[in-house]
Amino acid sequence: MVETGHFALVLAFALSLVQMLVPLVGARTGNQRLMAVGGPVTVTGFALTALSFTALASAYAGSDFSVANVWENSHSLQPMIYKITGTWGNHEGSMLLWVLILTFFGALVAVFGNNLPATLKANVLAVQGMIGAAFFLFILTTSNPFIRLNPAPVEGRDLNPVLQDLGLAIHPPLLYLGYVGFSVCFSFSVAALIEGRIDASWARWVRPWTLVAWMFLTGGIAMGSYWAYYELGWGGFWFWDPVENASFMPWLAGTALLHSAIVMEKRSALKIWTLLLAILTFSLSLLGTFLVRSGVLTSVHAFATDPARGVFILCILTLFIGGSLALFALRASSLTAGGLFHPISREGALVLNNLFLTTAAATVLVGTLYPLALEALTGGKISVGAPFFDLTFGPLMVPLLVIVPFGPLLAWKRGDVIAASQRLVAAFALALAAMLVTGLFIDGASVFAALGVGLAVWLVAGALTDLAVKSGAGSVAPAVMLRRFAGLPRSVFGTALAHLGLGLTLLGIVGTLCFGTEKILTMRPGETVDLSGHTLRFEGLFPQKGPNFTEDRARFLLIGADGNANGEISSAKRFFQARQMATTESGIRTLGLSQLYLSLGDEDNDGSVVVRLWWKPLVTLIWGGGLVMMAGAAMSLADRRLRVGAPARRRKPAAALTSPT
Amino acid sequence: MTRKQKRLSVIVAGLAFLAAAAGLTFYALGQKASYFYMPAELATASVQPGQRIRLGGLVESGTVVRGSGATVAFSVTDTQKSIKVTYTGILPDLFREGQGVITEGAFGSDGVFVADSVLAKHDERYMPKEVADGLKAKGVWVESKSQ
Amino acid sequence: MLFWVIAAILTLGASLAVLLPLTGGVKGASPAGDHDLEVYRDQLSELDRDVARGLIQPGEAEEARAEIGRRILRLGAADRPGSANPGSSRGIKLVASLAVLAVPLLSWGLYGMLGSPELPSQPLAERLAKNPADSSVDELVARAEAHLAANPSDGKGWDVLAPIYLRLQRFPDAISAYRNAIRLDGDSAVRQSGLGEAIASAAGGIVSADAQKAFEAALKLDPANAKANFYLGVGLAQEGRKDEAVAAWQKMLGQLPPDSPWRSAIQQAFAEAGQPAVAAGAPASGPDAQQMEAAQQMAPQDRQAMIETMVAGLADKLKQNPRDEEGWMRLIRSYAVLGKPDQAREALGRAVAAFGADSEQAKKFTAFAASLGVTATE
Repeated sequence: MVETGHFALVLAFALSLVQMLVPLVGARTGNQRLMAVGGPVTVTGFALTALSFTALASAYAGSDFSVANVWENSHSLQPMIYKITGTWGNHEGSMLLWVLILTFFGALVAVFGNNLPATLKANVLAVQGMIGAAFFLFILTTSNPFIRLNPAPVEGRDLNPVLQDLGLAIHPPLLYLGYVGFSVCFSFSVAALIEGRIDASWARWVRPWTLVAWMFLTGGIAMGSYWAYYELGWGGFWFWDPVENASFMPWLAGTALLHSAIVMEKRSALKIWTLLLAILTFSLSLLGTFLVRSGVLTSVHAFATDPARGVFILCILTLFIGGSLALFALRASSLTAGGLFHPISREGALVLNNLFLTTAAATVLVGTLYPLALEALTGGKISVGAPFFDLTFGPLMVPLLVIVPFGPLLAWKRGDVIAASQRLVAAFALALAAMLVTGLFIDGASVFAALGVGLAVWLVAGALTDLAVKSGAGSVAPAVMLRRFAGLPRSVFGTALAHLGLGLTLLGIVGTLCFGTEKILTMRPGETVDLSGHTLRFEGLFPQKGPNFTEDRARFLLIGADGNANGEISSAKRFFQARQMATTESGIRTLGLSQLYLSLGDEDNDGSVVVRLWWKPLVTLIWGGGLVMMAGAAMSLADRRLRVGAPARRRKPAAALTSPT
Repeated sequence: MTRKQKRLSVIVAGLAFLAAAAGLTFYALGQKASYFYMPAELATASVQPGQRIRLGGLVESGTVVRGSGATVAFSVTDTQKSIKVTYTGILPDLFREGQGVITEGAFGSDGVFVADSVLAKHDERYMPKEVADGLKAKGVWVESKSQ
Repeated sequence: MLFWVIAAILTLGASLAVLLPLTGGVKGASPAGDHDLEVYRDQLSELDRDVARGLIQPGEAEEARAEIGRRILRLGAADRPGSANPGSSRGIKLVASLAVLAVPLLSWGLYGMLGSPELPSQPLAERLAKNPADSSVDELVARAEAHLAANPSDGKGWDVLAPIYLRLQRFPDAISAYRNAIRLDGDSAVRQSGLGEAIASAAGGIVSADAQKAFEAALKLDPANAKANFYLGVGLAQEGRKDEAVAAWQKMLGQLPPDSPWRSAIQQAFAEAGQPAVAAGAPASGPDAQQMEAAQQMAPQDRQAMIETMVAGLADKLKQNPRDEEGWMRLIRSYAVLGKPDQAREALGRAVAAFGADSEQAKKFTAFAASLGVTATE
């Protein structure tokens, strides 16, 4: 089975070479047969990659330590779930997952792309094939997960304990679905550049792909943030760690792309910009992969620190980013510009959105790469952390968030700011009220806290206003309004949900940062501590044994006002025998939207323990908002508008190439 | 305004915005980035009390003292010089004597480095990169065989 | 074999994926303009829906409709001429055949370089289910571990595994295994002394307070436990109380059965206690070159003692295994050299008895003894 997986991987590489060359030649020469090769080859390539991945996963599940990769990252006593997730908890396996997702998206284009012009489809598949070939080669030459050991060792070296966690099991696949999803947008852009023209169906196709990629990337980032929050035990949800930035930059660029693609689709405007943005977004995804995988950064995630790999990925990066940008420079002038619009219009608002988002992505890029550049040039070592990003990213986000509610209320081509403002009066009043209440009635609230709460409420109320206005609130009878509401296009709900989610996330961030409290103290069993109105009693340390670790679990009881215990929080220090490594499991209790967070320090000789305790008001909204944003994207994806082309097949059966599968 | 003027003003506004963002970014890089030092480098660098820096090195063996509450004192060394550090909070799981560590904070007026965050290496295979590079440069670092 | 069959099937499938579209019939593809037209039509119908829902003002809708109309007109005007340059059919055929050939050639070539087709999958469960006789020690240990992971309260299992861990130098595992065995099956001198040894070995041979506690517990159960006595002596030596250590070991020597392996360990320890740097050593099985060298540097009375114990050991060995010709001759010579003619004579008698008075060996022994000045008592 293992060798079958290895062989399937090699075969998939061979097919990716065919996929990258044959349809391209076909599209150049207009040869239908050569172009038709793209579809079946892509689908078969995906099937083989899936077989390969399954083989590796089953080697992990069966603790086959004759596979070096399994031996290095697994242990026979691990719970089954972590045995399986261990498949991608390491460099080699995660790269295999990367290409699996890449070929999966390629196969989706191949299967559902029958309503695309044949040459566009062939070119898109060819570009996907190029990316695939580069990464297959990378895996086979520098990161092969199927290297065997003979004789096989009896016991594995265990998965890094920090990674033995459910959150981390889901985080990389989500993130990769996002990263790699943008590869489709990239392929569409490069294909358009190769052809020298942008079809109307181009925009219609790029938008759903952007939505899919953006949805998963949002989920991946939220999941990663939550994982770091509870697993690393520092109580923070975002560290401006280079690896977090690596996933955040494509998100910012992807958000911009999401918005500019709307303009392009509706108005045929911003074509060239959208094309460039699609290239940049995937380039940032590749850059993220490079930063994480090459080990040039100091980070939790740097489990690959092999210079050969770094150089290889750098070559891939240069080839794809440089190549696509060169192609862009060469061909962009031949693309026709689209419709005109007034600065104050839906388009104008979306351009402003793009301006802010791309600038924000650029500042994050500078903050992430500057230390690397400085070290390479002068040898000086600096770290760019939260203070830098607070000063640069923050000021860029505030005006953007202020204008968000206006966007959906402006008309295309020429909008009326005053009319939009009148509709937003209620939302504005609500935000102002929230600001005043926060500033005046909550102890210790700073001006920033009040402004932050106001802004968050403004976003939420603005999103609801959008829905209300589009249902005809105030101008029609309630019954009509309800009917209209139910009949709104799903993309309208999508927009509103995404903006609402953004507001919720902001509310969570402001609540946690401005109203959170924290205590560090040493506690003896039986002692109690008060934090923001919650009383905790330390019950003591209890040794326990897990499947592949031992732990000292500290139990705390949450004491209610009546003196009775009404809940328990426990935090533990775990020790993993195989790697001789300790981890801390933080204790979290969710109370409403807020959380009590508890982390354990060292045990003193006299039986007392250092305890760090946080009260994090509204913290769950940070990730809850992310989920709402994802729901918004899913809603937009379900819009019938995006299913265009289905009629093409019905009305013109001859026009469509039948799916080869 | 003619169409041309309008377009020009939009472009000028856009460029002004970008210039402001760029200016802010470089100002922030100058003000908010913290430099990384090894103890021996601090002798030649002029670091003012209160200026945020990162201090990296090895936790000197036998210097970890737990004070009252959650305050810990220890020394960070690059085997040539060592610097006293105090930190209040929970030390990372991998904080050990003789192991690599990065602390971030500022010097107090008494010359003791007051750290507000302490990073230890994240797993057994990994040494904070700055620390490893610094020690290599000093010839103290020996590449271990383990990966 | 199965693997090659699968590989061949996979290759065939992949090649077909390339081949079939190349040989299949070509369906007439519509020019790109048709696809665009489809999109514009859809935009128009969407516009109508938006107007019906009141999402857009009628005026705006008219404008948008006009714009889409203009795009459709432009589309008709700019419709591309049929795809240019169909390419020479020769070139196309070349590309096609190269593509079909590339798949099997490249994959088998590359796999030949990278793969290990001769290695079967070896899931742990399968390996553990093999006949124990074929398994390595490591595999047996893994099997025992798997058993104990499932039945952690099997004290006997821990008891068996603990000394194996100790021998494999997996000291932390040995410590927990001994602790588990003691917890589940109760105290015994052997377990406690094993625990002590594991703790000491884990600490690089230093007899720590924990190890000492374990050894003392062992002695309480069995005052003659050799391992515990020995290591407590090592502990004393490490504390610099060498005299007490030597005394303890001397006392042990008196109590130990003559064939005890601890005798040589004690000899070694004596040797090391004589050295300025004291380090604890694991019990060794016999005097080696190093020990002999150490013996050379010993005080004369110590050396005498060492040699005497060695001779006593040899005598004991011969009692167990009397048909050792070499051994008897060595013993006789040793007694002769040590100036103990009575014992030499007695040894000769026993040697002769062991092989029978009329045997070749008996004659040889008598001659050998005579050459040393030892004569048999008649």
